Amino acid sequence: MDPECARLLPALCAVLADPSQAVADDTCLEKLLDWFKTVTEAGSSLLLLQENPCLVDLLTHVLDLKPQNVSPRVLSFSLCLAGTFAAQEDCFEYLQQGQLLLGLFGEAGPLSWAAWSVPIVRSGWIRGLRSLAQHPSALHFLGDSGAVDALFSLQGDSSLFVASAASQLLVHILALSMQGKAAGSSSLQGSAWPACAQKIVDHVEACLCSTAAPQVTQALNVLTTTFGRCHNPWTEVLWGQLGPLVAHLLENEPIPAAHSLVDLLLSVARSGPRDMAVGGSSSPVFASADCGLWETTARMLSCLSPSQAGPLALGTLKLQNCPQALRSQAFGVLLQPLVCILRATAQAPGPPGVLDETTEGSSMTVDTLLSSKSACVGLLCQTLAHLEELQPLPQRPLHWPQTLLVEAAVIILKLCEGSVAPSSSEGGRLCGALAGCVRVQRAALDFLGTLSQGATSQELMLQVFAVLLETLESPASSPTVLKKAFQATLRWLLDSSLPPSSLDLGLPAPLFLKELFPVLQKRLCSPCWEVRDSALEFLTHLTACWGGEADFREVLLASEVPKLTWQLLRDPESYVRASAVTAMGRLSSQGLQAASESSGHLEVQQGLVGELLHILSVDSEGFPRRAVARVFTEWLRDSHADVARDTEWFVATVLPMVSRDLDWEVRAQGLELVQVFLAQTLGQSSPHCPYVVTLPKASPPSPLPEVLRTLCQLQVFDFAFRALFDCDRPVAQKACDLLLFLKDKTAPCSGLQEPGESSDVTSVEATLQRWQAGEQGQPLSTLEPKEVLAALRSMDLEGLQSRLAESSDHVEKSPQSLLQDVLATVAVLEENVADCY
Amino acid sequence: MGAGQDVGRSCILVSIAGKNVMLDCGMHMGFNDDRRFPDFSYITQNGRLTDFLDCVIISHFHLDHCGALPYFSEMVGYDGPIYMTHPTQAICPILLEDYRKIAVDKKGEANFFTSQMIKDCMKKVVAVHLHQTVQVDDELEIKAYYAGHVLGAAMFQIKVGSESVVYTGDYNMTPDRHLGAAWVDKCRPSLLISESTYATTIRDSKRCRERDFLKKVHETVERGGKVLIPVFALGRAQELCILLETFWERMNLKVPIYFSTGLTEKANHYYKLFITWTNQKIRKTFVQRNMFEFKHIKAFDRAFADNPGPMVVFATPGMLHAGQSLQIFRKWAGNEKNMVIMPGYCVQGTVGHKILSGQRKLEMEGRQVLEVKMQVEYMSFSAHADAKGIMQLVGQAEPDSVLLVHGEAKKMEFLRQKIEQEFRVSCYMPANGETVTLPTSPSIPVGISLGLLKREMAQGLLPEAKKLRLLHGTLIMKDSSFRLVSSEQALKELGLAEHQLRFTCRVHLQDTRKEQEMALRVYSHLKSTLQGHCVQHLPDGSVTVESILIQAAAHSEDPGTKVLLVSWTYQDEELGSFLTALLKKGLPQTPS
Repeated sequence: MDPECARLLPALCAVLADPSQAVADDTCLEKLLDWFKTVTEAGSSLLLLQENPCLVDLLTHVLDLKPQNVSPRVLSFSLCLAGTFAAQEDCFEYLQQGQLLLGLFGEAGPLSWAAWSVPIVRSGWIRGLRSLAQHPSALHFLGDSGAVDALFSLQGDSSLFVASAASQLLVHILALSMQGKAAGSSSLQGSAWPACAQKIVDHVEACLCSTAAPQVTQALNVLTTTFGRCHNPWTEVLWGQLGPLVAHLLENEPIPAAHSLVDLLLSVARSGPRDMAVGGSSSPVFASADCGLWETTARMLSCLSPSQAGPLALGTLKLQNCPQALRSQAFGVLLQPLVCILRATAQAPGPPGVLDETTEGSSMTVDTLLSSKSACVGLLCQTLAHLEELQPLPQRPLHWPQTLLVEAAVIILKLCEGSVAPSSSEGGRLCGALAGCVRVQRAALDFLGTLSQGATSQELMLQVFAVLLETLESPASSPTVLKKAFQATLRWLLDSSLPPSSLDLGLPAPLFLKELFPVLQKRLCSPCWEVRDSALEFLTHLTACWGGEADFREVLLASEVPKLTWQLLRDPESYVRASAVTAMGRLSSQGLQAASESSGHLEVQQGLVGELLHILSVDSEGFPRRAVARVFTEWLRDSHADVARDTEWFVATVLPMVSRDLDWEVRAQGLELVQVFLAQTLGQSSPHCPYVVTLPKASPPSPLPEVLRTLCQLQVFDFAFRALFDCDRPVAQKACDLLLFLKDKTAPCSGLQEPGESSDVTSVEATLQRWQAGEQGQPLSTLEPKEVLAALRSMDLEGLQSRLAESSDHVEKSPQSLLQDVLATVAVLEENVADCY
Repeated sequence: MGAGQDVGRSCILVSIAGKNVMLDCGMHMGFNDDRRFPDFSYITQNGRLTDFLDCVIISHFHLDHCGALPYFSEMVGYDGPIYMTHPTQAICPILLEDYRKIAVDKKGEANFFTSQMIKDCMKKVVAVHLHQTVQVDDELEIKAYYAGHVLGAAMFQIKVGSESVVYTGDYNMTPDRHLGAAWVDKCRPSLLISESTYATTIRDSKRCRERDFLKKVHETVERGGKVLIPVFALGRAQELCILLETFWERMNLKVPIYFSTGLTEKANHYYKLFITWTNQKIRKTFVQRNMFEFKHIKAFDRAFADNPGPMVVFATPGMLHAGQSLQIFRKWAGNEKNMVIMPGYCVQGTVGHKILSGQRKLEMEGRQVLEVKMQVEYMSFSAHADAKGIMQLVGQAEPDSVLLVHGEAKKMEFLRQKIEQEFRVSCYMPANGETVTLPTSPSIPVGISLGLLKREMAQGLLPEAKKLRLLHGTLIMKDSSFRLVSSEQALKELGLAEHQLRFTCRVHLQDTRKEQEMALRVYSHLKSTLQGHCVQHLPDGSVTVESILIQAAAHSEDPGTKVLLVSWTYQDEELGSFLTALLKKGLPQTPS
């Protein structure tokens, strides 16, 4: 421990032990615990206590206080602290000598005090025990102190946090008591469980047989966590013993704690040894015949309600080692709602194989779908989300019914749009339940987007594009729906693997573009900024991918979209302006700006640079300015025609603007731009990867002295040196990296400096020092290359770099600062009563 | 999940008539790790958040109420609707962006929400107007009420059927310089969830605090000192700006006032845009003079900090934990003529917290020590309802019960007792993680068939509006509707067969006579006792009274005891019970 901290510790303990002193900030005690944890993890706790007796005094004092005098927060803190120390066995013994631990955690301690009614005290008690439960001595203590019984009752605590922590701790104790008992299952049969474990197992067993649902849930939660955290021979024995009781729960009507039961089954199924699971064995350790895991799962799938069975079905399909029959059954459960929708709306029912498997239990699904609007919406959203999750996984079923799924997604979207006229009464009721339902629309669009990756027939693809267009066109579509519709459209366009050049072939995607652009135009004029922004994002992505395709270019240029995008550069909403800047940057990179009749292409181009510079210099919000800085950097990197025409002019124009910007991200982006410029003029920095293929440069770098002169003229160094002392750390960091790069590059040029010329450097250094002191108003005289070189050499940039790597609040975050704050606050607490933002 | 007996990150989960709503999604500024956000894994143990939650409601733009929102929606994965008022939707991203910058700037945190995430999150927001009833779905509706506190702050009523909850967020019952007082109508919610920051405080007059503040600023600049006021971009800053602007105008002062980071313009833009949310005075005078167009307050440039002479600077951030305010503080701290005024709360670990707790030697980076000689003042301008205000609101809303959040346990306890005594309603103050369950009596509309109604009318007297009447029928719950129909109708609709339910009872009587004689005696006894009823003696020896059947039998073991088997239908339950009781008393002695 830091000597300064050790010096402050007695005062801190005195403050904590004094009931009349309140500790100011509720985070302080938490941070103190964090610190003690770090200290004890790094060294001996026993030594810590012996060197700082005030710590034990604090614990003793808290116990000696009259229970009604103890502040619940300090009591909770003390319990946690004692647990942290007692995590080491020798320290545990030391504390036990004074019966301190028994006092704190035993039945006569806080457990029986009035303060026990305060949740943080119960929480502290559990946290303390959790910390100390690390060694055999702790295990004996837990068994003797009655703690385990208290934990049983805390599982049903009114505080979710306490109940959950109690359950976790029971699992931990069970695992701890079984440590080293992995000697095969036979030794554990009968009454061979260690006493503490036996007690927990008995309790779980009793709870599983209980008729009270909360008890069953608690038992299931303990088991779920147990199987979730480890696989050992003893967990196998445990399942062998309790599995039949779990299976027995399925005989009740309704099934108690169904969700927890699902979690448990999946946890057990996942807990098989990894090597066997990967090996593809259909019978892992836990699924051996006598354990009946798969049978239980199959039974459960068939008797749970569709919405309860969904998560189990998904979980089962994600397993790598379950029998094929069960996988088919699970997939059937997931597909059922969609099949029901297709049937009700009299759509073609897809490949026969899939439907056969889903007929069982379909009446229950139909009932759910038709019972009420909320049940219908709930089941559909869940099903769509589950299938969306399953789609990209390698474990998904081999026979993936792409057509059925696409058809279902399309019909659901149509039902939401109200654009389908089903003949059956079920269809009519579904229509009523789903019409205008934004929740289902969102889920269906997400799902449809994922399906873009599969192979889809051309006819079906037309249907997909039609429904997407319908959604994008519909005046009733909400902004969130439109955003998702744009995203899904983008995925289908890009994944349909039909290059736009195949326009003549009459394939869906390019044809669709012609219909899409009028809609896009309309959405760019939407009164909702969210919609304008989503439309611009869509345009940017599409242009990035298809900007080079002739047909796309043709459709785009024939539309009003480029003009509207330009107009959005003056949008009242800053987010939209920023997106418009990005979109225009992208369009311009691809030469896709519309030339108006009166002006030529060049004028438009120059007009755009001017417009972006205008935004950079006057826009009152950061997002558009940041976007401009990014676009300019991209342009420079990609040698955009306007930039390449006169790169130096470009850099000279942009730098003064970005260097003065109030937003540090614009300044940082400006440094990025300089970095790109330097890489182009001086050559790349040495590549980090030795295998990187270095492309031959278009033009060889100019001679160094000349480059340096140019950089000086462009005031690159002025910007970089100033940025080095920026009050925003990322800017300083970036500037430091940049100057280090320059230092590296200019090293061969050190001969430039001639003796006797150091006086100029002194003035530069003096200015830099004043900048460092915060006097940024001081101007830097016009720099000459030799001064720059000298300054670069004389500065400890490496040292600065490591200093900047530390967070700017590392001093305030230190334990010493924390102790000082706690102590200082006590004195003034009463003056500044609780306030907030 | 948060704000239970503490003032940290507000996050409350309400389940009302099967709908789940999350109220606020705040962050705790005092932590730098994952403890700063609520632990959302407790919302639901099963299923996706988007499926479980019907909506999220944000009361106002302060970070302890909305700071975790982009994390929740873009990183945890909530994809459902988020409701807030228009000003909150406009201002929220500015504060979130500020916060993100500080987190990234200060700590270089990589795993943090990005600007794009903030934007994507804001796109999920559905903005609401005051007093507009918004239908979240067919059953759930919400309505915003004015809360004062900060621009755009609202209280929300959440209603499902006849049950409702009002969540106050932070509110202020007294108008301040730019905002009005909170108001809610007599909506009689099942539950009122109220903040209780100042649960035991009766706040001193705001005027006094303002006078004090102006006096301190004035004195400092008069003696040539510089005044630094660290603020967050929006909120209190604007109130203080109005205060200083008016004072400067009145006193004809020339000392410059600056506002750093170019935020004035943006902030003022929003105040102009949402002028209807400000108080009456500002709205009234808006045409002649816009209170947010400041003559004396100018944009600050970094170079100005070195200018000689007095000045007043508003700089962000508000806790002196990074950026410009900290930089200016470091420059000015060494001069005793200068002053820093902290207008709000500072969390531990910030320079603001240190100087407020009286520390005068601050260790800075590289083991440098900064000696603070400048004056340090604390001026609380936070706008919360005090104890009187909270009581006033409870009186206004007339809730069935009250739940206190966003305050300290001890103070809440005091207020809880006061509320329970004065209003005779239950008041709760759960800790974080605790669940309070409230029984409600929802009124569920039931449709009644005309046939049944007519039949009942025909049987009884004419109905009276205020007199309750008993009506027999069968309740059918189907397709989430409730209908009361006649039992015949119910059987028909549900395709069920009718069963007869009979009650039976054995009555033991000490009697040695034969069974037939016994039955005859019962018949005579009943005939004479029940004169209005049809009592019959059947040929098989049994006796009937209406549907009630009585048979006499011998006792299998005791010949001196006879058993009367009595059975009756459910319709004659009353008579059946009476008869049994009568027979149990025994038969009258016959003259022998």
